[in-house]
This record gives sequence, C-alpha cells and structure tokens, in this order.
Amino acid sequence: MTRKTTSKRRGVGSETPVFVFVGAACALAFLLLPLVGLLKRVAWSRLIDSITSGSASQALRLSLYTSIGATIVALVLGVPLAWVLARVDFRGRSIVRALVMLPMVLPPVVGGVALLGAYGKSGGLIGGWLYDVFGLQLTFSRSGVVIAEAFVALPFLVIAVESGLRSVDPRFEESAAAMGASGMRRFWTVTLRLLMPSLVAGVAVAWARALGEFGATITFAGNIEGRTQTTPLAVYLLLESDPEAAYALSFVLLAVCVVVLVTMRDRWMGRRS
Amino acid sequence: MKAAVLVAAFGCLYPTQALAASTDVNKPVMSGQVTISAASSLTDAFIALGKEFRKLHKDLKVRFNFGSSSTLVAQIQSGAPSDILAAADLISIEKLVAMGNVVVMPRVFARNTMMIAVKPGNPMSVKSVQDLTNLDVVSLCGKTVPCGVYSASVLARSGVVLSESKVTRGVDAKSALGAVISGDADAALIYRTDVLAAKKTVTGVAIPRSINVVAMYGIVPIRGAHNLDAAKAFIDFVLSEQGWKILKSFGFEHP
Repeated sequence: MTRKTTSKRRGVGSETPVFVFVGAACALAFLLLPLVGLLKRVAWSRLIDSITSGSASQALRLSLYTSIGATIVALVLGVPLAWVLARVDFRGRSIVRALVMLPMVLPPVVGGVALLGAYGKSGGLIGGWLYDVFGLQLTFSRSGVVIAEAFVALPFLVIAVESGLRSVDPRFEESAAAMGASGMRRFWTVTLRLLMPSLVAGVAVAWARALGEFGATITFAGNIEGRTQTTPLAVYLLLESDPEAAYALSFVLLAVCVVVLVTMRDRWMGRRS
Repeated sequence: MKAAVLVAAFGCLYPTQALAASTDVNKPVMSGQVTISAASSLTDAFIALGKEFRKLHKDLKVRFNFGSSSTLVAQIQSGAPSDILAAADLISIEKLVAMGNVVVMPRVFARNTMMIAVKPGNPMSVKSVQDLTNLDVVSLCGKTVPCGVYSASVLARSGVVLSESKVTRGVDAKSALGAVISGDADAALIYRTDVLAAKKTVTGVAIPRSINVVAMYGIVPIRGAHNLDAAKAFIDFVLSEQGWKILKSFGFEHP
C-alpha cells in the first residue's frame, strides 16, 4: 500500500517491477489484438453501403430504438433500487445487492430462458396471464427485446447510481432539509444534481450493454427480421451470408462502445478519491 | 496383411476405396482423441454412436462439436482443429473441397426429411404447409444453414410465402426447434429426426413426399486431421451395419 502511494508521489512506475509491466502489456495486447483483427477485416470503402443496406440498417434502427427503451426501463426501475441499496440499512442488503448483480455474470442465454419462464405466453409464470388479460405477448415482440435488454443492462445502471449516491455528501441534503425543502424537492434540486455525473455514466454504460445484448434477446424475443433481429443477432447471421456487412456492423457496435467507455471512463463505478 | 497394406496406403494418400474396405479388417489400437464436428441435427445420434464406438476403442477420447453445418465449415476454414465433418448437406462439404480442406470424396451415410413441429396436441390444428401462413410466428433455421435452405425449398414447392415478419430464425436446427419447445413459436419447419427426438414436447405434422426434400448427410475426414486413423475408424463405424442401426433408431433413413 505504501509502495503505491510513494510511486504516485515520485512519478509513474519508479518502483513497479519490470515483470509487472510485461504482464500488463500482455494483458493489453490480449484485449486489443482481436479489436485490431476486426478493424483489419472491415471493408472501409464500402462501410457506408454495408450498414445502410436492407437488413443491416433495419437491425441498426431496431437496436437504437430498443436499447433506448431498455435504458429508460433501467432508469425508472434502477434509480429507486440503487437508492435503497445505498441509503437504507436493512438485513440482507448484501444478498439483495448480489442478486441485483446476477445478470452481469449470468450467461445471457440463461437469462433468456429465465425470462421465458416468467413471461413466456405458454408456460411462463405470468406470461399466460398477461396475454389472457391484456393481450400482451412479449415473446417475439419489440417489447420483448426491450425487456431482455433491460434485464441485462439494469445492474450496470444500479452500480453506477448506487456508488454515486454513496459519494453524495449527505450534509448538502441535510442543510436543504434544514432550510425546509420537502423530500421530493430535495431529491430534484440537491441529490439529483450531485448525482448527475454518475447517473449519466450509468445510463451510458447500461445503454451500451443493452445495445450489445445477444443471448437473452435471441432466446426470449427470437430472431425476426425487422422486429426482433437486433444488430448483434444480424452480425451473427450475416457472418455466413454476408461477412462484409457483419464486419461493418461489428465495427459500428465497437465504435459506439469505445466512445461510451472513453467518455465515461472515470465516472462509472464512482470516481476514485 | 491386408490391414498392413491399407495402413501403408493411408500414409501417402487417402483413397476412398481403402476407406470403405477397411470396415471389416482388424483395427489397430486407437488412442488419443478424435474431434468430430457434426450438424446439430445429428446431436443425439452421434452421441449414441460415439458411446458405442468408445466400446471398441477404449483408449480413444471422442469429442463432439455440434453446430449448424455452415458454422462448422466456417470454423474448419479458419483452422478449428477438427478430424471429421459430418454435415446435413453435401454443399457444405463441397465448400471444404473447394478450399482444399478435404481431399477425400464424402460418403453419404444417412438421409433425412423435413417435418412441421407444433405445440403438443396441435392447438392451432396445423395440417399442411399452407396452414403455416395462419400462424403468428414460425421458427425456421437461418437462411444459409442447411435446414434453412431445405425449409425454403419445402415452402417454395408448396407455393407458400411466409412473410419475414412472421419468421424467427434459429442459429441451427436444434435452436429453431427450441423456439417451439420452450418458446412461444407456433410451429417450426424442421428435420423429422429432431421432431422425433423432441418426443412429447412437440407434435409432428408430416409433409407429403411430393413437396418434401431429401437431406443427404455427408461425412468426411478433414485434411490435416490430428488423428486420421481414428477419424477413418469412426467414419467406418458410422457406415457399418452397427452404425446404421443406431442412426435408424433415431429416425434417419438409409442413404
């Protein structure tokens, strides 16, 4: 621990052993090499044509709409959950937090199977009821895509917002309360303002995750061109019939993720103080 | 004696005749492992074949890699270590021949046909391919996957056009059927053997021979196989009387 602080003070890496650098370089190469490989395969001159052609542009548009929808769902559900996790002390909080994180590590296909178990029209826990009472069928529908994407994206938003709420100094809220601001007003004028950077980061990362969702989507919402075939699904299917379009779409997804992560680099998971 | 000659022949080139003839000779001791890439519709049959094959060659590890034939071809082309390809059509194997990944003529070892799979008890009373147009969602294989090509032929021969907005596409035959078994797809147009393997989880609706297709399953050793002897032994086993009995028990038809 002391080493870390001294090395920081004296300048980068004065006491970091060489083999650590070698290991770090290997790790970085391990992560970046496949990306370089992907970039090399993209046919740049026909990139625009590839992503504006029929099924590719359809998939991109669908991905845009559904991922925004999923982010809104995650936002509406995630902020209250993050609030409770950050501010309310209750027994079993750590268990609840672990359960909330489950979709981050659960194989997405398993998530899709689980969603079928809950919302499937035939044999889902409440899916049959939803269909009989409201005529609502989530499987093979755009709303189903939104549900699948929100399911995997929600934890990313909760993590960001929870850590953001923890770093909000309660004294600001206390003094607002002392000045007579109501709970609702305090939230909108004080908490939300201080929370904004984390919230933006959480939204961005959750959106990127929703955009890239594959397993839960194909399992739960199916793979219908123009309806539930999102960009990652299109990439997988185009890989055999039209690799050029598949690489072009992969590049788009990669570029979006890079932009999101680079802009949000310090904010997600909370700023190290 | 004969075996020795054959083994010597294997060393320099892989003649098809030798491959066929070696069925009845005393097998050399096999060891190591053999990796078999097989169409997903062969999953159950090949696992059973592998079990019986292991009884003959106890020191040999048999590993399977199941997926759509077109995915398997792409994997092999990009260097996936595979000793055998067993595909649900001959076009996939021809692709490998064209790329130089295969130097032996493929052997056709089984045939299959297409069938309609619906929810148990056929609640939407689907009786023919034409009835598929009345359903909300029909599950097919990907357009470039063999079963997707076969289902397109069946639809074309029946004069049925399914709007893409009603078609969900699985990545291989098993996952296309999965959309009916555990999902909300009303029907799948899929291999007869997969419908049989799914037992009571779906009901099968037969498609008349006049509009049905015949899927030819081909098997071939991959050039540069790590374990060519074992690969050939497995292929011989698949083509043997015992192998045929197993395939038949899973509903495959004689080539």
